[in-house]
Amino acid sequence: MAAASLFVSCNNDDSAPAATGTGKLNLEFDNVYAGNNLILETQPNTTSGNEVLKVSLLKYIVSNIKLTKSDGTVFTYPKSQSYFIVDETDVASQILKLENIPSGDYVSVSFGIGVDQQQWELGADGQGDFLALAQTEDMLWSWGAGYKFLAFEGTFTSPGVGSPTVFMVHTGKTGTDYNYTSVTLPLTNAALVRTNITPQIHVFADASKIIDGQNNILLSENNSGGTGAMIMGGANLALITANLSEMFTIDHVHND
Amino acid sequence: MKKFLLSFLFPTLLFASEKDSLSIDYKHKFAQMLDDCDACGCSATGGSMGFASLLNTNFVGLRYIYQRYSSTDGLYANSPWYTEQFNSVQVWGRIPIFKNTQVSVLLPYHSNSRETQTGSNTISGVGDLTAIGLYRVYQTMSDSTFLAHTIQLGAGVKAPTGKYDATNNGSINPGFQLGTGSWDYLFLAEHIARRKKFGLQTMLNYVVKTENDKHYRFGNQFSYSGTLFWLHERNDFSVSPQLGVAGEVSESNRQYGQRVSETSGSVVFGKLGLETGLGKWSAGAQFLLPISQNLTGGRVDAKYRFGLNLNYSL
Repeated sequence: MAAASLFVSCNNDDSAPAATGTGKLNLEFDNVYAGNNLILETQPNTTSGNEVLKVSLLKYIVSNIKLTKSDGTVFTYPKSQSYFIVDETDVASQILKLENIPSGDYVSVSFGIGVDQQQWELGADGQGDFLALAQTEDMLWSWGAGYKFLAFEGTFTSPGVGSPTVFMVHTGKTGTDYNYTSVTLPLTNAALVRTNITPQIHVFADASKIIDGQNNILLSENNSGGTGAMIMGGANLALITANLSEMFTIDHVHND
Repeated sequence: MKKFLLSFLFPTLLFASEKDSLSIDYKHKFAQMLDDCDACGCSATGGSMGFASLLNTNFVGLRYIYQRYSSTDGLYANSPWYTEQFNSVQVWGRIPIFKNTQVSVLLPYHSNSRETQTGSNTISGVGDLTAIGLYRVYQTMSDSTFLAHTIQLGAGVKAPTGKYDATNNGSINPGFQLGTGSWDYLFLAEHIARRKKFGLQTMLNYVVKTENDKHYRFGNQFSYSGTLFWLHERNDFSVSPQLGVAGEVSESNRQYGQRVSETSGSVVFGKLGLETGLGKWSAGAQFLLPISQNLTGGRVDAKYRFGLNLNYSL
């Protein structure tokens, strides 16, 4: 009897409390570089093209957050409150604190990188407080040139570039491409939003993908005159935008 | 019933006598024995240290257990590793109630510390009280048999007398707690086979854990040990060197019914021990070094454990 009871185990009772009212949800952006925690300034990061990057700045705009429940219903976070700037040097900026989320078991999240064209077309007056924030954070070239969707800066060396040379990658709209992209990420386990449970979705943002993803962009080939690799326009931005859609993954979800 | 039990125990006997080939093979076999419970995870109860003394069946005493781990958040390839130390002083005993029936009781006081990025963090306090009723289902009576056997079976409870702190949930080692915060149920089987001065003690222990009031449930845990011993007795003096293996296999923890990733695991230790007795008193020491392990998805690395005990025979 006792020995037989050795095998008593494993029930899967879902003990989450009933879903009523609204709750909060934190969306955490954790910047990494190919599996390593991203450390600014000092950490050498080697690309598949044998270029070694030391990153000094990584900022991006996260927007238009949508959450999908296990029953398929989608909650769209109010658009006017759904623009954020994540900055690697500012820990507080890396956790987006979302409020008034209907209680429920959420199984996927989607968001955009940058500011969508519809929002931009509302004009400067239609941007609310976000315009001032973007200016403060240096994530706006000018109103006409538009927002910087992602800024990735530092120095690099390569087989042909021996001394550390500045690079700057700024994505955003160009004359031909708007370059806003969005991603939908299934969660590793359901985020249980309740009045008394604030889930935290831990998103990995892999900076290695920016220039070294499905499209490989060599900084040394953008280093005209040897004064630095400045990628802020042209055809490369569309390639980098495609890379950004692969930059984000869900590592885990806490329900605390 | 006995036949079933013996067939259950026998693989363990073989296991303990073939020390060279045990680590990988037997990890698989034990995982299979647990069947639909996937291996593994480890809370730091030191369950594989057992509940018995080889020198005296019935005793009361004090035991000290030290466990050392290194752990990481496991988020990044370059995540730092931090030292964790678990100190536990335990009042323990095995008290006879009726003929062939005893109660094993264990009440620990824990002081656990770990390094963090910002300094050292210590939690101290009473742990979970364990009480197990044991019944001697078989004992060889004749001296003439080749092997003399003793088999004991028991069942008990672990009461949530230790504090469970939910804020530790998301942290690195989910076992960094004073208690599980839950009423847990234990099943224990012990077998001793002796031939003259030599013997083999086998212990199997399965703990069914339940959800605590913070909606967290630690994974069920299977602990086992096999100990070869040599026992020399002269007048009122006795000495017993011991060599064996001990291990733990744990299922994933669950929170709100959801499996918490990277909380299952297993570990197998090699074990060296010595017990000596003089009159009613006995003292013991055990040292455990891991042979193979995969704890909480590789985020916790067991370094070593040791135990010291002082018992008074009843």
